[in-house]
Amino acid sequence: MRKIFIPAIMILTVLVFMTGCKKWADDQADIYEFKPAPGQAVSDAAPLCGSIKGVMLSGKTYTIGCDVYVNGGDTLLIEPGVTINVTNNAGIAVRGILVSLGTKANPVTMTVPGLLKDNTPGLAYAADSAHSSNRLWKGIACDTSCPMLVLKWTHIEFAGSSYGKTFGPAVQQKSTTSFNLLFQNPNGAFIMEDSWIWGGTDDCIRVSNGRIHIFRNTFEKCGGTGGDIVNVKGGTTGTMAYNFFIGSAYNGQKASNKGQPIGAPQTNVVMYNSTFVNGGRGVVPGQRGSTTNFEEGARGAFYNNVAVNCRVGYRVVNNPAADTANLSYGNNYQYADSLVIANNFFTSGTVCTRPQPTDLPNPASYLPANFDYTNPKYDGTPVVQKLNPMFVNYPLPSPYSPWGLTSIGTYNFHIQPGSPLVGKGYTGVHPLVTVPLASVYGASEVTPPGVDLGCFQVNGSGNQH
Amino acid sequence: MKAISLFKEICCIKPKFIMPTSPHKLLSLLGGICFSLPALAGTIKGKVSDAKTHEPVVGAIVEAENGNAKYKTLVNLDGGFVFRDLPEGSYGIRIKYIGYKTSEEFKVVLKNVKATETIGNIELKDDVRELNSVNVTGGNIHSDSYVRGMEKNADMVQNILSEKAIQLLPDVTVANALQRVSGVTIQRDNSGEGRYAIIRGMAQRYNNTLVNGVKIPSPDDKYRFVPMDLFPSDMLERLEVIKALTPGMEGDAIGGTMNLVMKSAPDHFLFNANVAGGYSTLFSNRPFSAFDHGGMGKSSPAEIRGNNYTATAADFSLDQFHYSDKSAPVNSTAGLTIGDRFFNKKLGVIVAGSYQNFFRGSNTQTIIPSANTNIVPVPTALLITDVLDRRYSTQTNRIALHNKIDYVFNDRNRISLYNFYVHQNEYQTRYTNDTTFGTNSSAVQKSVDVEFRSRWQVQDIYNATLHGEHQLSRNVKFDWSGVYSIAKSKVPDMSTYDFNSNVHFDGHGNASGADSSTYGMSVGHTWQRNSDRDWAGYANIAYKPSIFGQEVALQGGGLYRYKTRDNYYNDYSLKPFYGTTQVFHTIDTLSLAFNPTQNGSGSVSALTANNYTAHEKITAGYVQAKFMLLPLLQVLGGVRVENTQQDYTTVMPAEFSGRSGTIHYTDVLPSVHLKYLLRTNQNIRLSYFKSISRPGFGEIDPYSVPGEQFTEIGNPHLKHVRADNIDLRYELFPGGADQLLLGGFYKQLQNPIEYFVINRGGPSNLNIQAQNTDKATNFGFEAVYTRYIGKFGISANYTYTHSEVTTPKTTKYYDKVLTQTQTGTTTQTRPLQGQANHVGNASLLYKNPKIGLDMQVAFSYTGDRIMQVSAWYGLDIWQKPYTQLDFSLEKSLSKHFYFYTKVNNLTNSAARLYIKVDPTVLDNFITQGLPNQKAGSNVVNMQKEIVYLSFLGGFKYKL
Repeated sequence: MRKIFIPAIMILTVLVFMTGCKKWADDQADIYEFKPAPGQAVSDAAPLCGSIKGVMLSGKTYTIGCDVYVNGGDTLLIEPGVTINVTNNAGIAVRGILVSLGTKANPVTMTVPGLLKDNTPGLAYAADSAHSSNRLWKGIACDTSCPMLVLKWTHIEFAGSSYGKTFGPAVQQKSTTSFNLLFQNPNGAFIMEDSWIWGGTDDCIRVSNGRIHIFRNTFEKCGGTGGDIVNVKGGTTGTMAYNFFIGSAYNGQKASNKGQPIGAPQTNVVMYNSTFVNGGRGVVPGQRGSTTNFEEGARGAFYNNVAVNCRVGYRVVNNPAADTANLSYGNNYQYADSLVIANNFFTSGTVCTRPQPTDLPNPASYLPANFDYTNPKYDGTPVVQKLNPMFVNYPLPSPYSPWGLTSIGTYNFHIQPGSPLVGKGYTGVHPLVTVPLASVYGASEVTPPGVDLGCFQVNGSGNQH
Repeated sequence: MKAISLFKEICCIKPKFIMPTSPHKLLSLLGGICFSLPALAGTIKGKVSDAKTHEPVVGAIVEAENGNAKYKTLVNLDGGFVFRDLPEGSYGIRIKYIGYKTSEEFKVVLKNVKATETIGNIELKDDVRELNSVNVTGGNIHSDSYVRGMEKNADMVQNILSEKAIQLLPDVTVANALQRVSGVTIQRDNSGEGRYAIIRGMAQRYNNTLVNGVKIPSPDDKYRFVPMDLFPSDMLERLEVIKALTPGMEGDAIGGTMNLVMKSAPDHFLFNANVAGGYSTLFSNRPFSAFDHGGMGKSSPAEIRGNNYTATAADFSLDQFHYSDKSAPVNSTAGLTIGDRFFNKKLGVIVAGSYQNFFRGSNTQTIIPSANTNIVPVPTALLITDVLDRRYSTQTNRIALHNKIDYVFNDRNRISLYNFYVHQNEYQTRYTNDTTFGTNSSAVQKSVDVEFRSRWQVQDIYNATLHGEHQLSRNVKFDWSGVYSIAKSKVPDMSTYDFNSNVHFDGHGNASGADSSTYGMSVGHTWQRNSDRDWAGYANIAYKPSIFGQEVALQGGGLYRYKTRDNYYNDYSLKPFYGTTQVFHTIDTLSLAFNPTQNGSGSVSALTANNYTAHEKITAGYVQAKFMLLPLLQVLGGVRVENTQQDYTTVMPAEFSGRSGTIHYTDVLPSVHLKYLLRTNQNIRLSYFKSISRPGFGEIDPYSVPGEQFTEIGNPHLKHVRADNIDLRYELFPGGADQLLLGGFYKQLQNPIEYFVINRGGPSNLNIQAQNTDKATNFGFEAVYTRYIGKFGISANYTYTHSEVTTPKTTKYYDKVLTQTQTGTTTQTRPLQGQANHVGNASLLYKNPKIGLDMQVAFSYTGDRIMQVSAWYGLDIWQKPYTQLDFSLEKSLSKHFYFYTKVNNLTNSAARLYIKVDPTVLDNFITQGLPNQKAGSNVVNMQKEIVYLSFLGGFKYKL
């Protein structure tokens, strides 16, 4: 007779379960979380590995034997004259602060021991250790929390290895990413002054977002079969000036507002007085730029730049359009050895670069009266090999195959006093300073726009290399 | 099995027309004209039904013999037969039919040629000797009317397609057959083939798949849901879609459970064979593109030589990049089923094999939205990056084997062993013409990436189930199952290459030249494989005590399943090895390399979180009781408890957060099903059940795989979904296969899983990730109507579904205070992904047993629905209403031979996707030359996929 209660008991049980057991159903997840070891003070006694912090002392040589991490809250300070030898394709991941304080007299060098710079013009890509060595290191990658990266008078050589299985995820990147320098904190400051980068396999400097100050640097053999040199994305503000680029795969300097994070500013970059030589070796006209690019919602300015034998001209992209209402430019110079280059001073593709009367050569001297700057069509013959910039030591027309020379070597790209670049600069452009000015944790000098075009000023100011 | 079988046992309900009940009136009105002709002369009429089910035996042979002459006719759809213009005389009437004992002889005398004699209803008895427990109780299990009985008598809400219905459908796979079921929408692959089922607006993740009541694993690389196109439809005895779960069923279905009941051993010798050939008219328009898969390495260089080995271009074959055209490739299918019973019918065996070889494809034009948006002409304005012209050529080669052996010890004990194996090879060529829209293209010049992809996928599913049933005493029954299943997928060396072509235009829209170059070029080789292995045991005990003279069915049981999942992924990308852009000639003459060289090493390419092993242990138990609470109110209620223990371990080192994890939870899943017997042929049902949906391992594991638009990443913190479900349904079964079902449902989901686009590590690292949203609701109603009159039948169903989920969305706008562009966030309420408000099916059937002809025209409709959720406000991608019209026919040629044909997509329907935009946004695109747009519209056409008509024709032999 008890059986009569079974259904009733069951219904009751159901009700009890319905109300009482919600907690059981919560997902109890125990997911492995990596806790980095506390940073160890650096020493030159043994190869460095894992979490490091402290001061690399002046004049000493340190070896990095596997990936090193500067933890959040820690600082790695590199004194003048330090040499860092990186082995085993290692890299430096920065969650805290890294400051490299080279000086003109005692620069800091980060390199791969045993790899030698080869300046042979026309060197095959596959034979060029700057791109194709299997010993490249990963460079410096800042994660999304890194507040500051400062590089002054620092050589960064032979970076460009892929980040790999642990280093990539540690800095929120794929394992196949291979930037020489990476910065990705919209509230952080990335300061790079008077430094040199040699070699690479993709974008040389990728700034996903951040406050930037990139002044008076020299870039040689950067990029792989593709890649920009300084490529900044949505949420980046600051200034790039007095930089020298040679043999870039795509652009030297590029600004885009693509991927602007919530709460981050619109990309706003002021560029002036940079020199681009043999840029765009991996570019097809109509696709990508070779000198400067403003695209997809980026605002700012670009003035006083010099482009010599670059694949295509200065590029303001029309779709997705740069913030053209808030973009100003002028006083930009171009030189072409060949007609194919001169015909791309104003290049095809979705562009809207307006010729400016202050540009050199004077657009009126070769562009048709009804020039449609969104679909450029003109004959560049009048400007081929015109307005030789008069470099101190570099023959023009170039004796090498187009884009055959990707490093400076023994050449000297300073300008002679009679150069047509002299005195053509516009000094009214205002640098956009978004980083602190300080001898250690900040920028040393905001060099104002120069009176001469390009990065080397006749009066000795500008790029100091 | 008779060709005419679909209409077997379909009865006309003429006598009931006069009944005053309103549902019948409704039904007769809906049914339209009743085909009745005045009797002319010498007529004998009668009806034939099944002795047990009292349902008509359509197609049964009726013989009238008057000594010197023999006349034959067949039982009609309405269950009746009629002989006309018979000479005067005395006739002996007998009815014969396979599976039934021949009836006794009925004597009828026709006094003159104008006489009409009516025999009453003749009942046929099953032709099964003394083995009632072997016999699958009652009637012909293959028929529609049999399954109507099942639907009617079921304890829960379900819809069933019978074997006969499936065979007559224009569909050769279970996936396509599913779209004929009420409330089911199918998700198609890129050849227009149905693949996954969406039940009542609940996406595939919310549904589970059973074979003979046993859950089977999926060969999918991320998800649990099983690609339903792997199953040839000709192996099914019936297809059940169960929409309300009872405690005895596994609780991980919110939309519904699809149960594939495979053919079981017959009670007499059975031999069926079919062979057919066919053709897709797509390949009249362009050739089928085939590649040589011989060079595709079974294992990646890292597997062969270890992860420390740095591969070079020499480690990879280029053979798969050599394409050849096949014109007019012929599709073929063949099937064979043999079954019999031995040893005094104690041992039953059935073996069925199915082979399908299909050449399919599609031509697709797709417009790719940018990962970013613009602030002009309106905030969060759509941006477009690419226009893709894609041509898929897919050869699917499928072998399925199925075997069931059952042994009946006595009327109390029986065991069976079931084996099911599917093996599928899919060879797919994807040719893409990717025209950059925007950045690198203008009116006079367009940048086109020409891409070739060769993909070979091998999928296997094997299931073995040993099942026993034991009547322990008069009212205690015990059954158990031991299950081993494995599902595997392998994509060895999926190979891709692309080159750039700069196409120049003359300003009048005509291409004036093209330069092919190595700009931006890459060559990819990907190895991917996964396996899911299940060991499971099920046990149920049923006890039917009689309490106060009333039978109470008590049942309890449980299951334990141990699942092991392995996943391997290795992705190589080679680049041309030149410092400057080169002219592209052919892939064979190119110098390729890994750059940086480390990218060729397995320690970069293969040591990713995509390589993992995972386990899942499910322990479940339930109790349920079924009893008549009131004389006409049946209650089935109970509770199920499911405990889930999961773990995964990737190959990642200690520095990688998320390298391993464990997750566990316990769900208590009560359910109650009320069935009120309004009349003998009418039910009202009300049910509540709680159910869950577990994320796939591929979603939990912190993997990262490049997808079509975004890189897909896993989410170890993804929670399982819980849902409360309420169903209400009115059912009318007037007789035969006729039915009218009207129902409503309401579901509330906690932690529903939706895909979100998230930004991780910069704008080039946009990722798509499964995440939980707070909750979602989903409700609707459905109607199913089936009616047979004479030689015609109509079957229609319609489902209205409304679902709502609110998720965060990103906006882009100009901030007047900051005087600059800003990225903002807001929320948007929308339907669940994949859910269409309106889903309907209708089919018109014609059956003429006399000439052995069956025909069916099937129409399916799926309304607007979201195909992809955008990260941006208002930019979700929708699919336009999709209709498809299919036709099938079966005609008997002789006693055992039948001709059949299936024609799909008679109207060349195209699948179209769109995004709703402000007309000014579209105007801008049209000005820039975006193809396929209609000026003045407020939608941008994002995709048009055409598969064209295909047909199949062949022969069946049935004994």
